[in-house]
Parts: sequence; structure tokens; C-alpha cells
Amino acid sequence: MNSPGVIAITGLGSYLGRSLVKRLLRRSPEIRIVGMDRRRPFRLDPLVRFHTVDLTEPTSDSRVAEVLAEERAEVVVHTAFRSEPTADFETDHELETIGSLHVMNACAAAKVKRLIVTSSTMLYGPWPDNPNFLTEQHPLRGHPGSHSVSNRIQVESLLAKWRSRNPDTEVTVLRNCWIFGPTYTDHVARYFSRPLVPKLIGYDPLMQFVHEDDCMHALETATLHQHPGVFNVVGSGVLPLSTILRIAGKRILPMPPPILYRMANHPSQGQTGDPPEGFYDYLRYLWVADGQRGWDAFGEPVYTTREAWMSFVSTRRMRRYR
Amino acid sequence: MSEEIELETPMGAGSSDVLSAELREALDGLRGEIRTRFPERQRAPVETIDWMAIIQQIQRRVSTLGMSERSGEVDEFGMDEIVLRRARPLLELLYEHYWRIELHGIDQIPDAGPCLLVANRSGLLPYDGLMVSHAIWRMRPKLQPRFMVADWLITLPFVQPYLARLGGVRACRENAERLIRSGASVLVFPEGQKGAAKVFRERYRLKRFGRGGVVRVALETRVPIIPVGIVGAEEAHPILFKWSAPARAVGLPFLPVTPTFPLFGPLGFLPLPTKWVIRFGEPISIDHLPPDAASDELLISRMNEELRSEVQALIDMGLSDRGSVWE
Repeated sequence: MNSPGVIAITGLGSYLGRSLVKRLLRRSPEIRIVGMDRRRPFRLDPLVRFHTVDLTEPTSDSRVAEVLAEERAEVVVHTAFRSEPTADFETDHELETIGSLHVMNACAAAKVKRLIVTSSTMLYGPWPDNPNFLTEQHPLRGHPGSHSVSNRIQVESLLAKWRSRNPDTEVTVLRNCWIFGPTYTDHVARYFSRPLVPKLIGYDPLMQFVHEDDCMHALETATLHQHPGVFNVVGSGVLPLSTILRIAGKRILPMPPPILYRMANHPSQGQTGDPPEGFYDYLRYLWVADGQRGWDAFGEPVYTTREAWMSFVSTRRMRRYR
Repeated sequence: MSEEIELETPMGAGSSDVLSAELREALDGLRGEIRTRFPERQRAPVETIDWMAIIQQIQRRVSTLGMSERSGEVDEFGMDEIVLRRARPLLELLYEHYWRIELHGIDQIPDAGPCLLVANRSGLLPYDGLMVSHAIWRMRPKLQPRFMVADWLITLPFVQPYLARLGGVRACRENAERLIRSGASVLVFPEGQKGAAKVFRERYRLKRFGRGGVVRVALETRVPIIPVGIVGAEEAHPILFKWSAPARAVGLPFLPVTPTFPLFGPLGFLPLPTKWVIRFGEPISIDHLPPDAASDELLISRMNEELRSEVQALIDMGLSDRGSVWE
């Protein structure tokens, strides 16, 4: 392996940033890592050089550029995104869209060699007229009800423009689908952990998951090697939603869409933890991505959708045996 | 009885025991007397109802409602082999006895390798797709052509889970090309929604074949096109006229008014037992065309029109084969 140079990771405290550090240091303690986040993460490895940067601040772009120049970073991994949407639309937008813009501008100023941005296949959006397998060329239509998805779409369009202005930097975008595994937690995992799972009556779309190890493997490979372009990072195989819930032995609460949407929307805005309205459309229509391009670049996934789900279910001890 | 007495004697005191023993003996005698005089009626045994077991069973039924027949293992387009196998007897019944389907030209379908079957579309529910696919499976069990279904139908609540499991795929070029590349034959209805929405007096007159997407798929994937004429399906759900106002409320493109629907409510969904003729035409080979033909718009539109007239000819042949709508 040729030395990748100094790797700078934004959003060190996020799951992806934290796990990437762990994996890189396990691979070789020689790798030099610079971390940036709003506050110092708990139990940070002493080998990581940490800088406090708040991406929601207006001058954070020059601050990031300073850090990148000072540390002579060659690779920037941008993972400073919310792992789940919050009710604070404004801060979400400042952090995800404007924060990413700041990071991009800093990368341009510091002339980094590679920029890796994590994204999501949720950006394709659940639409009744989606083909069964969405390729990377498919337009990002998102979901009108989900501000978080809209923010990330803006990030991708800003990035596309940025790429044409900075042709010397190799840009890698990793779009992963819903991550499941023993340690990963977000609002999707919490939704599926409930004892009684509300579901739209009469709909049973095919779902696709990726195991956290496969997702991290793709991110690690993209960090260490040159893989410019956009990649879907997904597990192999698909499963209907009803099968997924049955594997976990869940009680299903079938509800008509208007009632469920209304019920889901208000508590989520009051931050009492329920997924927002847009979420249920992802359980209504198809948004399965074609992972072939990602598998060609990063290798076949170790876990299928079923296995990723099983590993999640078994670690949470969710299965009720009847 | 006697056991009790034996047990009690060591503890008891003399005369009172004797008295009670006598008394019991007398009572037993009396009881015997009564039983012989009044023969015992067969009394039904009192069943203890295990409410908890019943509740648990109901709970299990509710939580797995409509799922027990599903294997859970689906292919990448959502087809479930076990559901399909269980549906075969029903499909066979519809095929053999309900619509008494007559099949012509099955030899036109290649034994190996995928092909693109192009048929006329009719009726709101995709009975025609199911029947052609079943007909081919009967003759060539190895071939299981996947039929394409319009967007609004494949995402219709309650219909969507079953259609996908029976082999329906959303109609779009990406899906067709992917299926053919993976080696499956595909049955397409290029008339689309316009075909499904044909009213009764327009029956068996083909609508425009889209914008040539079918020909494009065939040119991209280099597979032969086989025209298919389906006669009978268009009378199974004769649409007298379309009613659009209530349809918009439930998200349908239109609400068909047939002789039975909505007059008889859900019963109106039952198709009429018409006589069907399915006729496969000669494959249209595209081997002689240059590889860059997919970008020749004029060629595509000419081939599309050719294909349309082929299907129309097959329908006309099927109509003349058939004595009447019912025979």
C-alpha cells in the first residue's frame, strides 16, 4: 500500500468518522489522522491530532483551510452530517449544506488530493416510478417532506459544481443505503427496535440494507486508494418489508397512510423520537439501488441484506420466539 | 367410599363410626335405587374453554395475517417461488376452465435464451399478463417470463405485494433491460395505460405503441421480438365508459364502469368468462441490423409500427378463430 498521506476527517464524533479512525489505526498505526469536530470526542485515540472546528460558524471555512494547511492533509473525508434528521431544520441546514460548502472551499484552498464525501441512497427518493434498481446516474429526486434529504441533495449538487471547478482533486461520493449491524444506531434502527411496528397497510416494498462492516470497508478503501466517482454502497439481495419484520418477530400495526403520516409528523417535530412523515414513504415505495459499481470498486459485500438484518436483530435480541 | 371409612376408623371413637357407616350404606342403597329407576341421561361433559390459548392463536393469526403463504425468499425483482407455486392451481383453473384458453404458435418461442414478448393490453387488472406467462410456463416450464405492469398498478395498495410476488415488474426500460440481461424473457404491453383504458367499442383496435421503447430495448439487448395477440381479455372487463371524478379521489387514473362494476360492488371485479385465444407470431429478428441501430430514430419508429401491425394481424386471426365471445 502506498502511503495515503495525512488523512483529515471532519465530523470525527459521527459513527462513520469514529469507526474509520478505528479501522485505519488497526490497519497501521503509521497512518496520520487529523480529526475535526465541534467538540472533542470521548475516548479519542492519542494518535489522532484533534482540532475543534464548528462548521456552523460563518468563518469555519478559513479555519478548516488553516488546519488542512498546517497538517498538510492530502485526503479529506467529510462525514460531518447528522446521522438522523432533527427537528431543528435551520441548524441541520447550516451544518449539512453550508458546513459542507465550507469544507469544500477549504479543500480548494488547501489543494487536497482527494475528497471523500459520504451520502445516502435515500437521496434517490421513494417514488412510485423508480426502476427496481437505481443506478448512480439516476437523478436525485429526494423526498419533499424530508429536509435532511433535501440538504444532502444540495450538498451533492454543490459538490458536482465544485468538482468541475477543481479538476485536480479526486472526488469520491459514497451513497450508502440504510446501515444495520451490531453497533450502528439511528432513527431507522430505533424504528425497527420498537415492539409494535407501525406500517402502511397494503404496501410491502422491497428493502435493501448494508452491514456496517461492508459500509466501513467501502469508506476505508475509498480513503486509502483512488476511486474517483459516485458509488452506491449497498448489500446484495433484497427482502420484502413484511419478511424483514417477520424475521425480527415484530408485531405489525398496519395503518392507512393518511392516519399514520399525521400521527408520525407531530411527535417528530416535537422531538419525541418518532420518525418524521417523510420516513414512511421510504416504507411505501421502492428505492433499491444498484450496487454493482460499488462492488466492482470495493469488492463484493460480505453480508447480504438478510445477513445484515439478522446481525442487527440478533445483537439487539429483538427476536421473539414463538 | 370404603377407603375413606378405613382411613377414618383408627381415629374415630366407636359407635358414631358404626352409625355413620350404616348411614352411608343406606344412602348408597338409595342412590342405587334412584339410578335404576331413573336411567341417567347422557350429560354433555362441561368443556373448560382455554381462553388464553384462543387469544394467543388469534394474536398469532393477526400478526401474520396474509403472510403464512409467503416464503420470504424473493428474487431481486420480488418474485416469490412459493407463492407462485401455490397460485398455480388457481391460474390453471382460470386457464383451463374459466377462460378455456386456446394457444397457437408456442413453437415460435425459442427454447433457450431470452426474448421480448409484445402483446396487446386490456382490462385494468393484469389477467392477460398472468395468463400469457402461465401459458408459457405450462409449455416450457424452464421459461418463466416476467410481465410488466403499469406504475399505478404496481404501487396500488394491496395489489402491489401480490403482483410483485407473482412475477409482475414495473414497466420501464431499465427493468426490462436488466431482466433480459439476467436471462429472463419479458412480456411487455407497449400500449400501456391507453390500452388498459380502452372502452368496449374500441376493443381490439391497438393504440399507439408508446415511443418505441420496446424496439429500443430489443436493439440494446439484441434479443428477438415475438408479437403476441391476446383475444378475449378485452371482453373480460368490458369498459362501458370511464368515470374520472371519483377515481381522482382514490388515486386511480379513471374508474371503469363495466356491466358489473360498480353495480355489484366487489363482485364486479370478477372478470367475465369469455373465450380466450393467445397466438404467438413469428419472431422479428434484429440480428441483421447494425449495432448502432438503437440511435436511428426513424428505423425505430418504422419497426415500432411494423410490430404494431403484426400484433394487430394476430388479433384479427384470433378473432376469426373464435366462434363467439363465449365459444
